[in-house]
Amino acid sequence: MPSRVALWPLAVIDVRQLSKTYRVPIKEPGLSGSLRGLFVRRYRDVHAVADVSFKIEQGERVGFLGPNGAGKTTTLKMLSGLLHPTSGDISVLGFTPKERKNDFLRQITLVMGQKQQLLWDIPARETFELNRAMYDLDRADYRRTLDELVEMLRLSDILDKPVRNLSLGERMKCELTAAVLHRPRVLFLDEPTIGLDVEMQLEVRRFIADLNNRFGATVLLTSHYMQDIAALTSRILIIDHGRLCYDGSREELAQRIAPERRVIVRQHVPALLALGFVEDHGRMVTTAAVDQVNMLLEEVMRRAPSAEIGVEEVPLDEMMTRYFRSRGERRDPS
Amino acid sequence: MSGLLIHLRAAPTLLRIGFAEMVAYRAEVAVWILTATLPLVMLALWSAAADGGTLGSFSQDDFVRYFAVILVVRQVTSAWLVWELNYNVRTGALSPMLLRPLNPLWWNLAETVGALPLRIIVLSPILAVLIWWKPQIALLPSAATFFLGCVSVFLAFVLAWLVQAVFGMLAFWYEQSVGLYNLWFVAVALLGGYVIPMDLLPSSIVPLARVLPFHSALGAPVEVWLDATPDPCRTLALQAVWVAVTATAAWFMWGRGLRRYGAVGA
Amino acid sequence: MRELRLIAALARVALMNAAQYRASFLVDLVTGAVSTVGIVLPLALVYNHTERIAGWSFHESLLVTGFFLLLQGAVGLAVEPNLSAIVEGVRSGALDYLVLKPVDAQLVASMQRIAPAKIWHLLAGVGVVLWGLSALPSPSLVASLTAVVLFVVGLFATYALWVLVICTSFWFVKVDNLSYLLVAVVDAGRWPVTVYKGWVRLFLTVVIPVAMVTSYPALALLGRLGPWLAVQGVVVAIVLLVISRVAWLLALSRYTSASS
Repeated sequence: MPSRVALWPLAVIDVRQLSKTYRVPIKEPGLSGSLRGLFVRRYRDVHAVADVSFKIEQGERVGFLGPNGAGKTTTLKMLSGLLHPTSGDISVLGFTPKERKNDFLRQITLVMGQKQQLLWDIPARETFELNRAMYDLDRADYRRTLDELVEMLRLSDILDKPVRNLSLGERMKCELTAAVLHRPRVLFLDEPTIGLDVEMQLEVRRFIADLNNRFGATVLLTSHYMQDIAALTSRILIIDHGRLCYDGSREELAQRIAPERRVIVRQHVPALLALGFVEDHGRMVTTAAVDQVNMLLEEVMRRAPSAEIGVEEVPLDEMMTRYFRSRGERRDPS
Repeated sequence: MSGLLIHLRAAPTLLRIGFAEMVAYRAEVAVWILTATLPLVMLALWSAAADGGTLGSFSQDDFVRYFAVILVVRQVTSAWLVWELNYNVRTGALSPMLLRPLNPLWWNLAETVGALPLRIIVLSPILAVLIWWKPQIALLPSAATFFLGCVSVFLAFVLAWLVQAVFGMLAFWYEQSVGLYNLWFVAVALLGGYVIPMDLLPSSIVPLARVLPFHSALGAPVEVWLDATPDPCRTLALQAVWVAVTATAAWFMWGRGLRRYGAVGA
Repeated sequence: MRELRLIAALARVALMNAAQYRASFLVDLVTGAVSTVGIVLPLALVYNHTERIAGWSFHESLLVTGFFLLLQGAVGLAVEPNLSAIVEGVRSGALDYLVLKPVDAQLVASMQRIAPAKIWHLLAGVGVVLWGLSALPSPSLVASLTAVVLFVVGLFATYALWVLVICTSFWFVKVDNLSYLLVAVVDAGRWPVTVYKGWVRLFLTVVIPVAMVTSYPALALLGRLGPWLAVQGVVVAIVLLVISRVAWLLALSRYTSASS
């Protein structure tokens, strides 16, 4: 094997020109079509991931965004070694994921919000025990980690109930526990909060942040819930139609697509209507370009000296909507 | 009466869709059909036992012919109703079906009939191999035998389907009703001619075995086809009686079962 | 050592899982008894008309049928539940988690489930073998040991066949049905293999070597098994195991290179 020159600090995840192409048979309509399809199949190529490159450093928390079918899950599966890339190189912790070396598997984990590894009919504790055996964890270390996780997620009451009797949220907490018992250095999380209620989403979010703080784990996360991404990650990767179209901090993204601030006055002040404010649930709200905000604030304070005033960024989901709308317009000028 | 009309008017469409469905599942259905190899396994044992000579009234050719016909009759009188009903009752999948104006059993019957062409197609290579091995087993039946044979197979088909309906409906009261159906099938195998021709059963139980429903469901049409039954009309009449009995039982159980199903709230 | 600990952990989980459905013990007792009768009684009915079939007396044939019941029981107990779980895992994607564990996926996948209720089939098999032996001269210790070893080796061969069939489900997700076909072929093993003629016998000895699991141990008990047949049995089993291992690895790499 040719040895590569090690650059310091080595990125935990290093992806270069990654592509994944599926060959999908074309289904022809009707009975005659499907009969023909038995003998001659025509295929078309679907580029699930195309020429994606990025690096993630130790301890980073990165959000992976994009519409359904953009290639997020495919990328995560390739990063964890479940899928082989069609072309390109991946290095995770210095390993090539698709070889699935045991030393690699011991250091990563993949959580899929829609798939389950817990054994359905028996208590979660038993799945944990089984994982202990599979990862060959030292019994004392395992105990310590489990205790820690039980405390972080407040699991003590549900550990010994059969999994089928748990609520969706409780099950997800156990899934997360099973996934991190071996203290992985890299966490791939694919929609970890899907279907959970708001409170449970908060709890899972706090847990992931906690893991990152306590264990120094690197986190790559996809989610439909922008709040997940907003709360957990500072860096964002956006993928659309298999291509990476943004890689940078959330602030930069905001500057690029939503370079304005939202100014909120938390009381009803009719005088502000003249400044372009609109009333919204008893508050006065307007948006202003970043360099205009200070002027605007002075004006507001002059007219409503006692008002409570807040300045906010445009929410992430609105940013994403705008982002994809603008991309769509560029691609399709009609 | 209008209910019956709906069912009759729907029949051609149901049959067409039932057939299309079986074509869609052709691979699975073919596998299921091919798993019924017991007649061939029994044929091997009987052939080896006859060892070129005869056993009772059966020569080796007779055994080949008998089990070839058994293989066909067993297939064209097969259904999946017992498993389907059991599953639908246990899981509650029956509920949405009951909301349609069409009896779900009627739809199953259409599926069962729709599978017949496929069954014949899958069986033909096996029959071809048997005939290639022993060309002398292929005999043309007389017109009368052909006619009576068809009627007898039809009655056996209806009887076998109704029996499955009855055992399937037991699921309304008892979840493991499929196990009970297996009991019925073992009885058909032993007393109905599936693994042993009636004439080779211990002579003391033959008269009894001939009037039991197991024989009507499988052995009877085989014997009519092979012109090996003492009195074909009596055989057909007996089959008709058993059809009437099981139909009554199925009718009765369907009403009672649905009431219970509704009460349990599945 | 590590593998042994893993196997112990797997066995524990499999048993706990099975204990959830203890009610089925009784049901399986009945089905076990019924299927035993359904297999033994036809044999008795045929022997009603003749003394020997293909060189085997009734009680000698009972040995074969007994081993056949043991085979059915063992497959139902430990092989079939796991392999249908694998097919289910391919379909639902739950296999992903297994592939990401630092363990041999085949080992774990083959040991996760157990159906203890099938113990009745095993007991029935032992009973039928003992019934056969009751009317035969008792076998020597060497003969008995050979029979047991051959039967166990044959079980591994059968397991290999099942793995081969299951591997196809990685390509065609709906072929879990194919295992029924295998069951149907294995069904032919209930009679002494000499009942079958020509290429059918060859097929049942070498390709789907069910004869090895049922007829050979019976012949060993009767002291009629030549040493080269015993060796042949072992060789066939090893070849099958190797083939199935290769097929499993191929299937797994297919699973990870093509699935979405």
